[in-house]
Amino acid sequence: MTRAGTILANTFLVAIYVFLLAPILVVVLASFNAGNFLTFPPQGLSLRWFLVFLDNEVFLRAIRFSAILAVTATAISLVIGTLAALYYVRHAGRDRDIVHLGMLLPLLLPEILTAIALLFFFYEIGVGTRHYLALLTGHVLMTLPFVFLNVTTSLQGLDPTTELAARSLVASRWRAFRRITLPLAKPGIISGGLFAFIISFDTFGISFMLKGTGTAPLPIQLYDYLRFNFTPEAAAVSTFSILLSLVVIVVSDRLLGLQVKRF
Amino acid sequence: MIRRPPTSLLMLPAAAMIFFFVVLPYINVLVMSFRAPSDTTPYGDGFTTASYVDLATDSYYYGTLFDTLWLGGVTAAACLLLGLPLAMQIHRARPAMRGLLYGLVVSPLLVGIVVRSYGWTILLGNVGVINASLKALGLIERPLPLMYNSFGIIVALTHVFLPFMVLPILSALQGIDPAVGSAARSLGARRATVFRRITLPLALPGIRSGVVLVLVLAVSAYVTPALIGGMRVQTSTLLVVDILIDQYRWPFGSALAFALSLAAGLCVLVFGRLTRTRWL
Repeated sequence: MTRAGTILANTFLVAIYVFLLAPILVVVLASFNAGNFLTFPPQGLSLRWFLVFLDNEVFLRAIRFSAILAVTATAISLVIGTLAALYYVRHAGRDRDIVHLGMLLPLLLPEILTAIALLFFFYEIGVGTRHYLALLTGHVLMTLPFVFLNVTTSLQGLDPTTELAARSLVASRWRAFRRITLPLAKPGIISGGLFAFIISFDTFGISFMLKGTGTAPLPIQLYDYLRFNFTPEAAAVSTFSILLSLVVIVVSDRLLGLQVKRF
Repeated sequence: MIRRPPTSLLMLPAAAMIFFFVVLPYINVLVMSFRAPSDTTPYGDGFTTASYVDLATDSYYYGTLFDTLWLGGVTAAACLLLGLPLAMQIHRARPAMRGLLYGLVVSPLLVGIVVRSYGWTILLGNVGVINASLKALGLIERPLPLMYNSFGIIVALTHVFLPFMVLPILSALQGIDPAVGSAARSLGARRATVFRRITLPLALPGIRSGVVLVLVLAVSAYVTPALIGGMRVQTSTLLVVDILIDQYRWPFGSALAFALSLAAGLCVLVFGRLTRTRWL
């Protein structure tokens, strides 16, 4: 390629990275705006809107609600998804393809349609959305494929004879699983859990349809706020939620010394 | 000796979850779309095809459907235009650099879709970053119409779904033996020829799944069109939610949702057929 061509190609690529990061950076920058409205250039820098947001019970309650929902959904998803991954890798045999497709269904089907289908379903069986149950079910569904994919990946890289060796050395089936399989599958389980937490914390369609009356998850609260308000408070809330995802990833990376699995 | 429980028990919770909360509810929606409408309850007694007839005869509904598919198609094309060079660059980068670039592409996925759409409203609004900058530079007098139209929606959707284009293409590229390209080059093929005759055909499965994924996701997107379009641009997905939740017309809303899925599925099928032909 000619020199000019290389420069042109590189400029194009840099522009794409700017395109990818700009909307996120702009939200973070806007949260430090000192003015009353989202204006550009900002009227000075301040932490004013963070203080407003930290004083706003509505957003704080939404964050607590989302965090509890995400932890609960992740815990349930981890159990169900890990069991399914074990079956898929070790025992599925002829049914492999159908198991794989089935587990990925919630990811492949449009989220908003799944949400609507679930909403009808919970009404038809007489539960409705008065309960937390519909929302929790939806969140478990949305996070399940991520647990399954991550655990499957780490199990596939694992030699099944290791467990057999342990068994032949008179380890009980449960003991072999607990001492050999589980520790080796741990990276996948942890990264699956991380993904599940973040997906649940950020998912919109499911929460939008299945939220009951009263407290709603953070993305819904933020969306409702954004439709009628233009203050930088929303940017402060968004920055907080970006920071939270970042902290979850960095802390688990440091503590557990693993890379978030590629999918 | 104790009988071991069958291994299929491992699969039971997940299988039950998928069957009861995905398969059954979708069947329920399909059945719902054939129910009779009612003025007092979400749906009436008996079955009818009235919803589908309304849909096929009212130009507002099928017009919106075409607009939505068009929006999804343009978004998929834009994602391909940006995603293919990106994937190729990441693939070619040195290992240390590759991790960083990969992280940059995936990182938007870790930020919620509401926040990302909000970021675009800050950039594209009438007093937003882009319009304010252009005005300050004296390049424009009145703000450019970047938001509250299809253009803004396509820009934001392209951003939201770009990672879903890059990831499958990247995994397809990683499956290509680099020796094939080198061999072609050593036999005197030009870079452009190597790209057209080797890289592109071998990356095609990845491109195909990327396009399908983005098309389906874009057609069924809700938050981004709602926030960027400011309810001034109608899409079928917005319409479905409106009919179901605000108007309580469950049979008609279900029929529209199904028609949208069917139409998107048809596009995917046609696209699959078209790209199966030999790539020159």
